[in-house]
Amino acid sequence: MKIYRFHAVILLTALLATLLAGCSAGAGPQGIDKPEKPLVILEWTGYEINEYPQFFVPFTDKYGNNLKDYVSVSVFGDDAEAFSKIQTGFNADIVHPCSSWWGLYVEAGLLQPIDTSRLSNWDDIPDVFRNQGEYNGKQYFVPWDWYYEALLVRQDLVKELPSSWADLWDPQYAGHVSIWDNGEVSYAATALALGISLKNPTPADDKLIKQKLIELKPNLLTYWLDYTQAIELSASGDAWIIANAWQDTFASLLDEGYDVAYVEPKEGYLAGVCGYAITTNNTQLDLTYEFLNAAIDVQSMANFTNEYWYGAANTKSIDLVDADIVKTLGFTDLDYALAHTTWYPPLTAERRDQLSDLWNEVKAAP
Amino acid sequence: MTTLNRKQDSAGKTNRPGTETKLAGIPRTGQLVMLVAPAALWLIFLLILPLITLVMLSFQKSAFGPDSTVFSLNSYIEFFRNSAYQRLMLRSLWISLLVSFFTILLSYPLAYYMAFHGGQKQSLMLNLLIIPAWTSFLLRVLAWRVILGSSGLLNTFLLWIGLINQPITGLFYSQTAVVITLIYIWIPFAALPIYVALQRIEPGLLEAASDLGSRPWQAFLKVTFPLSIPGILAGFLFVFIPTVGEYVTPAMVGGPNGLMIGNIIWDQFSRGLDWPMGATLSLAILVAVLIPLVLAARVAQKSGALGGGR
Repeated sequence: MKIYRFHAVILLTALLATLLAGCSAGAGPQGIDKPEKPLVILEWTGYEINEYPQFFVPFTDKYGNNLKDYVSVSVFGDDAEAFSKIQTGFNADIVHPCSSWWGLYVEAGLLQPIDTSRLSNWDDIPDVFRNQGEYNGKQYFVPWDWYYEALLVRQDLVKELPSSWADLWDPQYAGHVSIWDNGEVSYAATALALGISLKNPTPADDKLIKQKLIELKPNLLTYWLDYTQAIELSASGDAWIIANAWQDTFASLLDEGYDVAYVEPKEGYLAGVCGYAITTNNTQLDLTYEFLNAAIDVQSMANFTNEYWYGAANTKSIDLVDADIVKTLGFTDLDYALAHTTWYPPLTAERRDQLSDLWNEVKAAP
Repeated sequence: MTTLNRKQDSAGKTNRPGTETKLAGIPRTGQLVMLVAPAALWLIFLLILPLITLVMLSFQKSAFGPDSTVFSLNSYIEFFRNSAYQRLMLRSLWISLLVSFFTILLSYPLAYYMAFHGGQKQSLMLNLLIIPAWTSFLLRVLAWRVILGSSGLLNTFLLWIGLINQPITGLFYSQTAVVITLIYIWIPFAALPIYVALQRIEPGLLEAASDLGSRPWQAFLKVTFPLSIPGILAGFLFVFIPTVGEYVTPAMVGGPNGLMIGNIIWDQFSRGLDWPMGATLSLAILVAVLIPLVLAARVAQKSGALGGGR
């Protein structure tokens, strides 16, 4: 009996020893020690670091084999969704909202300021992007990607290409227009169509725009919910015009061989910039800055533009981007490109609620 | 028939078959508590408590921050002030009514056939009925695109026989599409209770009817159909109640005019950050559905339509 127990103890020790040895041998790469828990990134769908390691090259090169020990990604398809998620207690360390929502995050006290001296490529990001992320003299956002919103048209199906935001109401496209299920952007597109400025909207403007959006319904096929559905609607030929489509939708449809055009309306593109911010409860700042530096790395940003045709905040990356893309989207001269856009104005909490109600009323209208 | 199986115990009182032998020795109340407890606990934790939370939430000014402790009737005022909510609610009730009606209409013959003419194949047919429910709900909804889409089966067929020369669009993204899809989804749920009700009808009754000279259709109207009403009612409730709050189907196939109140509730909770409003709308649906149901149940019980012969 005793002998058996002795054997068992030896066996157990041996087992434990091998286990421990295995652990230490398998310990992660050098640099920052394996964190207690991975960084939680609240990210747009289609940007996930584990799916698209090429967008964060230095980081994924370093931690590639054990990436899930260092970062975990939770996705959203809409800014409102992300903001709600974080407001209702989702514990993210890094968030990635777009410019009109940035102020709401700062106002709600969700973010800590960024120490830009720790960002190696900070100087390559132009002021036009940086300034939008600055509040009370402190930088809260690292601008990363910027986008156009325009009309994505199946040019093989329409008789005549639309040329203005107002063409969404043109009866010749009846039943084949799809707009985003999003009050903020549909409001903006309508305002541009009517020639109303997005700054300082009056209640009368709101009323007019609401009416106009209700009048659009007979022309609508359906509201699209996310990027995947937008692609699918255009690819099936059901939707001839996708309003407020981003460049990535265009790129991916072209890739699949569809005859689509990305039309800049005569009132100009709508545009926004998105960026990363650090939440107040993030305590793993070393790893966070390593991630941010990897994101604004020249190669990472070029890979990103090549994949999705979005603009990169680090404008140095343009040299590494496919020349055709640069030409198609007018990225060669940034000032020129930006002059053709209307930026989304910052939202306030009150405005956000107003737009949300307005949009619900539009959707509920007969 | 059941009376034949009933046993007389020594004291001469009757018990339902089965209970007296297995559970002998345990007092009636003890039996009752044991039998009811799991279901009661389940209901308390998963229905009553969440319902109380919902009611409390609906009276808050905001779901988060300092405003969350402020009592407010704002959401209720907003509900009565804003006709958009009422319109969506009526639309949801109307769609549910349509769906329930047509589902029953389509599943009745199915259940009838299974119950009276299924013979040996009854269990096979039951399985066939249930198998589609094994696939994901979302997939079954989207599968309708293959049929109703602009390059779908229906359009292709109509084009081929030359009835139309251009595909009809907007078939898929419409209120009609929501109704069609939901009817398809719910048919098994309505067919099963009707089937059970029909199966319980004793063949002897129909024989008696025919012996007394009634024609088959008369026997159906006077015997089969009245006896199957409890099944129809159950099927109606199984379909009507979940349909009122439905939001996935309208979001997928509803298009610009097919949205239902469930979609707005979802919006209020997920994107609008207005949980009190969402809670208020949920409660409004609950009341709107509950009142007619309670009334219907009363009437049904009085007229004996629910069976049981109490």
